[in-house]
Amino acid sequence: LRRDLFWVARDVVESKSEMAQRITRRGRFSLHFSAIAFILPALAIYALFVLYPLAISLWGSLFEWRGLRQMDFSGFDNFGRLFVFPNVERFSGAFFHNVVWFVGIMIFQNAFGLILAYLLFQRKRLTTLLQSVFFLPAVLSPVIVGALWRLLLAPNGMVEWLLNSAGLHEGRLTVLSDSSWALWMLIGIDAWNWMGLPVLIFAAGFRQISFEIFEAARIDGAGSARMLGSFALPMMIPAISSVTVLTFINTFNQFDIVYVMEGVQGNPGYATDTLVTYFYRLAFGAEGAVGITDIGLALALGTVLFLVVTIGTILMLRAFEKATVQP
Amino acid sequence: MNVAAYLRRFPGWVMLVLWTVVVLVPLYALVISCFKSTAQIYANPIALPQVWTFENFVSAWESANLGRNLLNSFLVTGVAVAITIIVSAMAAYPLSRYRLQWGNLMLLLFLAGIMLPIRLASVELFNLMKTLDLLDSLFGLICVYVAIRIPFAVFIFANFMRALPRELEEAARIDGAGEFRILFEIVLPVVLPAVSIVAIFTAIAVWNDFFFPLIFIFDDSKKTVPLAISGFIGQFRTDWGMIFASLAISLAPVLAMYLVLARQIREGVGTTGVAK
Repeated sequence: LRRDLFWVARDVVESKSEMAQRITRRGRFSLHFSAIAFILPALAIYALFVLYPLAISLWGSLFEWRGLRQMDFSGFDNFGRLFVFPNVERFSGAFFHNVVWFVGIMIFQNAFGLILAYLLFQRKRLTTLLQSVFFLPAVLSPVIVGALWRLLLAPNGMVEWLLNSAGLHEGRLTVLSDSSWALWMLIGIDAWNWMGLPVLIFAAGFRQISFEIFEAARIDGAGSARMLGSFALPMMIPAISSVTVLTFINTFNQFDIVYVMEGVQGNPGYATDTLVTYFYRLAFGAEGAVGITDIGLALALGTVLFLVVTIGTILMLRAFEKATVQP
Repeated sequence: MNVAAYLRRFPGWVMLVLWTVVVLVPLYALVISCFKSTAQIYANPIALPQVWTFENFVSAWESANLGRNLLNSFLVTGVAVAITIIVSAMAAYPLSRYRLQWGNLMLLLFLAGIMLPIRLASVELFNLMKTLDLLDSLFGLICVYVAIRIPFAVFIFANFMRALPRELEEAARIDGAGEFRILFEIVLPVVLPAVSIVAIFTAIAVWNDFFFPLIFIFDDSKKTVPLAISGFIGQFRTDWGMIFASLAISLAPVLAMYLVLARQIREGVGTTGVAK
């Protein structure tokens, strides 16, 4: 209370000075004006090139389309077409690949990245150097990464040569054109590309846990693995939350690696097709078949994907927030 | 450290070294393949070249018009980063420093953009660009990138600016400084770490982007690096040496930046967790 009185008293004293009086009067009147003027450039660009196209895309999915021309209102017709033959096959296939991709990245990239981050946290030597090495591929364009791995995994490439030299494999390596392998290869390359992200986020998370918790666990005789599982993980929920949500958003936007390594059709035989490559084909046409587009279907697919990503993200953030341990 | 403790740590070191090898060997293969003929790459992809030749770089540079693509990428990235920093810092300033009833709502509107899957709006974005006559233009590309990167930049700037003491600009205000001068001469110099985080991650994202040039750019002379690379990975499939050289040329600028700024990038990712 005394503190409040002090502030009030200070305000009274200040408002007596003519200069301050002028400022507060001007402040009340022009505060909003000045704020709007500052926000306007960013808001205008953001609204014009992000919010407006997104809003009319969602609205447009309720209309019939002929080429790039919007025709009559058709309710949920486009959505209906998405769930029947022949489109449902592509749609459910692509959706399934995205789900597999998400699960694969959660295991191969994020769980493995958590272990790497924990190993780095326990050590003192070389840790910053190794963190920099692990993050290195993440600054490279997924297009370059995809092109590089396409050469390395091709027949005559480095991976084939290494496997053959080690006696683990014989003859031609054709994993990229083998439908039972291709998707897993792309997921592995995506994990190679972004492994540094969970490592850095988790490493920062571990550093924020107070030293006493680990000391107490050590005195209780907890081993390294139990220390991670029972003591550190519950404190790491904010970091796990941001890694999971980022993975979710990025997985359902997956496009570049598929396009560069397997083409926009998701070869072989749609085995690596994702929702965004399918969307791209519907909206802009496939290689060699430019012009065969279906804008209505593309917008319906976009709306479904939009709902999946936004609702999924919000639900995940809610769930993680509930699970967060309050220190 | 005694032997038992050392042995306990050994499996962990094996894992760390193994992943380091997995990261570095492909990049090593990329670098040495640039100096070898395709036949030599086939024969032994990981051996050092017997004769170091720069022919691959010359043919990559000449046949692929990479110089032009690099110039386009530099131009688009530089301008997009500059505009993003200026407009986002301006927007974040009142949202984090003024007492506005609608401030939080506006901030939320901006932050929603971090999550929005903007690629799904690309059909209508294409129509908009056509109406504005921004198709097949680097300026149009810059507009889209600035718009996409504003949410992340506003988020970072608002977080850093909120932590500053209120006296900072009040003193300047009493001296009669305008709001514009207060932002650019007093507040922004104090939040330079935020400026560098925004600059670095915007630059990486814009430099590496492939989706929007693929949709909006048709003319060869206006292609950015990732689009050009994707174009001739199919075309010259037999000349591996040249493709490796062009990959190396196109990732050299980002790699150079990373070597200089590795510490800032590491800390930026660790603290914000929003790199992509």
